[in-house]
Amino acid sequence: MDRVALDLALLKAHERQDTAELVRLYTIAGDKAEEKRDIDAACFFLTHAFVFALEIGAPEAKLLNERLAARGRAKLLEF
Amino acid sequence: MSNHSSLSSVLADVNTANGLPNEHYVDPVVFDEEKRSVLFANWSGVGFGKDIPEAGDAKPVDFLGMPILLVRDREGAIRVFQNTCRHRGMILVSKPQKIRGAIRCPYHSWCYGLDGALRTTPHVGGLGRSTHDDIDMEKLGLFRIRSHVWRDVIFVNIEGNAPEFEDAHGNLLERWKEFEQPIHHGGESSSFKLEVATNWKLAVENYCESYHLPWVHPGLNSYSRLEDHYNIEERGLYSGQGTSVYRQLKDEDGKTLPDFRGLGDKWDEGAEYLAVYPNVLLGVQRDHSFAIVLEPQDCANTVEHIELYYAKSEKDTPELDGLRGANAQLWKTVFEEDVFVVEGMQKGRHGELFDGGRFSPVMDGPTHNFHHWVATQIVNGRNA
Repeated sequence: MDRVALDLALLKAHERQDTAELVRLYTIAGDKAEEKRDIDAACFFLTHAFVFALEIGAPEAKLLNERLAARGRAKLLEF
Repeated sequence: MSNHSSLSSVLADVNTANGLPNEHYVDPVVFDEEKRSVLFANWSGVGFGKDIPEAGDAKPVDFLGMPILLVRDREGAIRVFQNTCRHRGMILVSKPQKIRGAIRCPYHSWCYGLDGALRTTPHVGGLGRSTHDDIDMEKLGLFRIRSHVWRDVIFVNIEGNAPEFEDAHGNLLERWKEFEQPIHHGGESSSFKLEVATNWKLAVENYCESYHLPWVHPGLNSYSRLEDHYNIEERGLYSGQGTSVYRQLKDEDGKTLPDFRGLGDKWDEGAEYLAVYPNVLLGVQRDHSFAIVLEPQDCANTVEHIELYYAKSEKDTPELDGLRGANAQLWKTVFEEDVFVVEGMQKGRHGELFDGGRFSPVMDGPTHNFHHWVATQIVNGRNA
């Protein structure tokens, strides 16, 4: 999924309030940024993925929180 | 507060007392004073457990402008919070919903657990940085509101300084201890509300006393006569009425609703109807109970939320749906018969020559007891 397609999918997921899809897409965006070693961008996207995962009680929340906490970008939570 | 009327005549003995002055029914300034001194300072009813039956259920309530959030946590306990984000004061939950993971503020996505703890503050330290040395998440959980659930009514003490519920209502808990057993809501037909153009106190006053029964509820009087009723008055606590001729509803086959377990003989034909000050009205009978939460909206408007409960669940006794429906209809008729009275008294309170009225020393004790309690709360508030 290229950047344009990802942006479009994210907008559509926001429009549908499809929170699970937002978790998936923001994680992809975070992963891509991390691959490019753009850590600030990666943490921005992963923060969004984490927040939406936390909201819906998705199991991904724990791993996302650990990734962000490992970068010093979030408090490590207990789940 | 010297611009208010003296309440000394309200605090006199019932034989000589007057009722609360008109301003307590028609003046928005006094309504606001009562909001704080009477409703926020004591244990007020704001909802029912049956409205948030499952873990994660959340229901926002606007109680006299105070945004409240009722939630059922993962362990099944009911918790009550101020429904306001600790960040920018945004309303957190605007409609009843299931919280699957966390309560997310729709503004900047600060998230809270069902225990009220602040779980995350996204980007609070700049984009992609969700911590900041000056943001202590431990201290920024949702403001918890003291709450207690009794007979499925969710009571809250917003001001936070009332005695523990069990202490404040110990006398009543003892009086009705036989009814401390599981109750089951009767389902959709057992839930109704009445929007009434009256001050909330007039609904309490009318509920407390049996004096009006033969005049306003002639149908009820055919089997529940005035002389079969007795006054219940506990100064400073609660008041209401009891009957010694409660008759169970029967269907065409003579079937009745099942009794609550282990009740004493008193309840074979006994029933009691009490106002739990300030705004909750309860009734108990051998085979069902009900709870009414009065939601004051302004000086002259109140919503009565009425819920009926039984000894056995709807799910376990589908064959009793008809009886439950008939019972609900019976009560609805009774409560609707009272509407013209409480609305009429509200209109009458604009009579500028009215002095609060005089009570029947014999019949109006429960109403006087309520006025005495309200006046005491107001005096306490003015002296605080």
